[in-house]
Amino acid sequence: MEERNNTTTPATAAKKCSCGWGAFVVGLVVALILGWWVLPNLMKETKKQPIAFSHVEHVQNQGMTCEQCHFVRADGSFSGTPTTAQCAECHFTVLGSNPEEARFVREYVQTGREIKSEWLVYQKQPDNVFFSHALHFGPLAELKGPKETAEFCSRCHLNVAETDVPPVYRENRLSGYSENTMLMWGCERCHAEHMAMGNTNASNACFTCHK
Amino acid sequence: MDRRGFLKFAAGGTVGLVASPIIWNTLYDAVYWTQNWGWIPRLKKGESQYVPTVSKLCPSGTGFLVRTVSGVPVRTIGDKNNPVTHGAMTALAAAEAELRVSPARLKTPLRRSPDGAYIAISWAEAEKLLKEKTQQAGASVAAVSGDPTSSINEVLSSILNQQGSSDFYFMPDEEQPAAVAWEAMGGQGRLGYDMEGSDCILAVGAPVLESWGVVAANRSLFNRTHPVGGEAGQKLIYAGAVQNNTAAGADLWLPMKSGTDMALLLGMAHLVIKAGKNGFAAGLGNFASFAAAYTPEKVSAITGVPQERLEAAAKALVEAKKPLVIAGSALGSGGSAGSVMAAIALNMLLGSVNREGGLLDLPYPVSVVAHATDYRDTMRKRFVDYTQNVAAGKTKAPALFFVYAANPVYSLPADSGVKETIKKSGYSVAVASFMSETCEECDLVLPAALGMEAFDDVQTPYGSGRVTYALARPVAKPFADARSAGELFIALAQELKLELGVKDMPELLYKHAYALGAPFRAMMDEGAVHTARVTLPASPLFYNWEAIRAAASARGEEGDLQVAPVVVLAMGTPQTAIPPFATKVVTDYQLKGRYSVAQMNGATAAKLKVNAGDLVKLVAGNNVQITVVAAIFEGILPDTVSLVAGLGHTAFDEFSKGKGSNVLALTSVRREPGTGLPVWGLAGVKAARA
Repeated sequence: MEERNNTTTPATAAKKCSCGWGAFVVGLVVALILGWWVLPNLMKETKKQPIAFSHVEHVQNQGMTCEQCHFVRADGSFSGTPTTAQCAECHFTVLGSNPEEARFVREYVQTGREIKSEWLVYQKQPDNVFFSHALHFGPLAELKGPKETAEFCSRCHLNVAETDVPPVYRENRLSGYSENTMLMWGCERCHAEHMAMGNTNASNACFTCHK
Repeated sequence: MDRRGFLKFAAGGTVGLVASPIIWNTLYDAVYWTQNWGWIPRLKKGESQYVPTVSKLCPSGTGFLVRTVSGVPVRTIGDKNNPVTHGAMTALAAAEAELRVSPARLKTPLRRSPDGAYIAISWAEAEKLLKEKTQQAGASVAAVSGDPTSSINEVLSSILNQQGSSDFYFMPDEEQPAAVAWEAMGGQGRLGYDMEGSDCILAVGAPVLESWGVVAANRSLFNRTHPVGGEAGQKLIYAGAVQNNTAAGADLWLPMKSGTDMALLLGMAHLVIKAGKNGFAAGLGNFASFAAAYTPEKVSAITGVPQERLEAAAKALVEAKKPLVIAGSALGSGGSAGSVMAAIALNMLLGSVNREGGLLDLPYPVSVVAHATDYRDTMRKRFVDYTQNVAAGKTKAPALFFVYAANPVYSLPADSGVKETIKKSGYSVAVASFMSETCEECDLVLPAALGMEAFDDVQTPYGSGRVTYALARPVAKPFADARSAGELFIALAQELKLELGVKDMPELLYKHAYALGAPFRAMMDEGAVHTARVTLPASPLFYNWEAIRAAASARGEEGDLQVAPVVVLAMGTPQTAIPPFATKVVTDYQLKGRYSVAQMNGATAAKLKVNAGDLVKLVAGNNVQITVVAAIFEGILPDTVSLVAGLGHTAFDEFSKGKGSNVLALTSVRREPGTGLPVWGLAGVKAARA
């Protein structure tokens, strides 16, 4: 019977080892590229807002305040983005020369189509998250002007106050939510760390947010 | 690449993937993805509105605010601006937004097919069928309504009258025996109770904080007169067999055996006469002589109430400036007139009639629909007499039988003859919002809109001390294919070319408001509620001691134990069953698993040789047997078992069907001596360990 030679010389061992480490490194680099760049991009679909709304035009040029469109209702609920009817309070007809405004008036105001239901909300949360804007607006009354307000709101939201066109909306193909949707760890920056933004004293109990 | 190299490549890839965020982010995304599953309900977001209106499911017509989000009702809350309820509301009214979409809600007209199954039909078919059957029935048509506060009754009674039938009835309720009693004592108008004006209320058998009268207003009054940590501004004395919420809230509880109300009231009359309170009216001497036999010793022996508590209650009434005595039944129907007569007599002795804080003579609601039967005339008619006669063959069964907003198959005793009447009638039609036991017996079932989905009204509910008028306004679209019952009956009358004098519900409501001098526009636009202190000229009351004596001769129920039913509105009404929203407030002391819980005190349990949690068989005089779970509660008199009403449904939905036993199954219809009124408020049972 042939006897198998299982002994390895130091030279052959060094050769095999060198080839193997190269494969490991290649695998590592490929996976890092896939994991950090290729797959995350493949998972997301870029979408456009129905209208190229300009905050710069409304806030800086027309002198509007944030609260004229985004306000807390009497019952404590938050208005979110305005409805077609609210926009039409000014835009019942075309006011300027921006073709997007003319399209808005033509396609939404004149037809009664609801812009609010089409607007893509960057921070949209699932229904199992109970979030009250009113409860988080404690310091809002002390803020002066749109700039300070925008800074405060942008602790959670994208800072859109100084954008001329809406930021890119990238939707996750699996979850259907925006890449900007705040994950739970984002909430826990304050809810688990009470001193994160001064003393918030926010409870981190499940039922605080999940009803 | 050899095998070893590939493995190292894979190992490198694995390390790389673990070091990148893709796996963790994908896990997060997967969590969010689970929120997109189709069966997870979606919130409708949008602007909230709070619309003041009134509950048509709650028997006392609680006023509330309906919160809508984007036009969809999501919640009901108390209305602080409501002049009747001052922000209070009942557990049933609190569940009304959820009841709107209850699984038991009727979605479409249903017609029974020859094989017994229901077939969904269109409204056009249903209306055609209804018209044909009404025309064919001619004068042989009968109807019962379970909503005495609604103007829709006028439309229905007008249709019957114009067809040549006078068989329009109200479901038996708390007011019918009271109306008999008030009339027997010389009352000319409608019996009212000025609870707000009184400084001491004695409620005998009437759970004023649970189910009697205008409950939300009663509770609101109790809250205002009993401030936390402060001194009570009004004394509430309650006599009843169970330490229920009313007893728990009362300043003094008289633990009274079930069915001994008359003896207690006559004993109180004796004590107040002794204390010098003897308001004069015809028959006083005879009544005083009759009441003199009810000495504290005797009354204590009959009722089980300690003598000193009887004397303390009498003292409180005598010393009060504006005392008020109320009598009622725990079940809310099937009560006797005798105890109300005795309560009226006691009020007369105390001078508490036709004055602030006492009994009042209120006007009855007026009819504005042509050919409609007056409220008072309908109130005088006895539905159970009719159904028992039909069942016994003494009265011809109707060719067409309407059941509107009522569930008599569930809410009346088995020997009331209702089932037989429905079976014997040529064609039976139920107009209801939920699939009840009665609907399941009828040939045609029509889905009715709720109060928050249609125009309707609440005319002064029984128990009020004022004339009140409130409108139910459509806050939301009717659920599924439900339709306003009022508009349905008006359309039927128009199809039959009958004269109503109104073309639609808003016109009917307007005419009512106009008749009362109520601000219709403000009621329609802002949900304003009309209240007025209208009292009729004082009635020539007299002590009808003979009627009281006859009623007092009623024999008690046989059996080792007396059943003391407890009605709580969290269990809904016979028309709604248990609201799904309220199941969380149904306790282990009311329902355990599929069994009703019979609460009894330790002495009773020892006598029966049962422990808490044991199954017990209760056998009633009518041979109906139910199995219950025993629970020990010392707030109940000896030889008494307390069962909560509202359980034991065989219809509706998973939240009500097959849960516990119907306490009404243990009762039987009797006739009250003197008045001849059908009564079934009491039940005696024999008990044994199962």
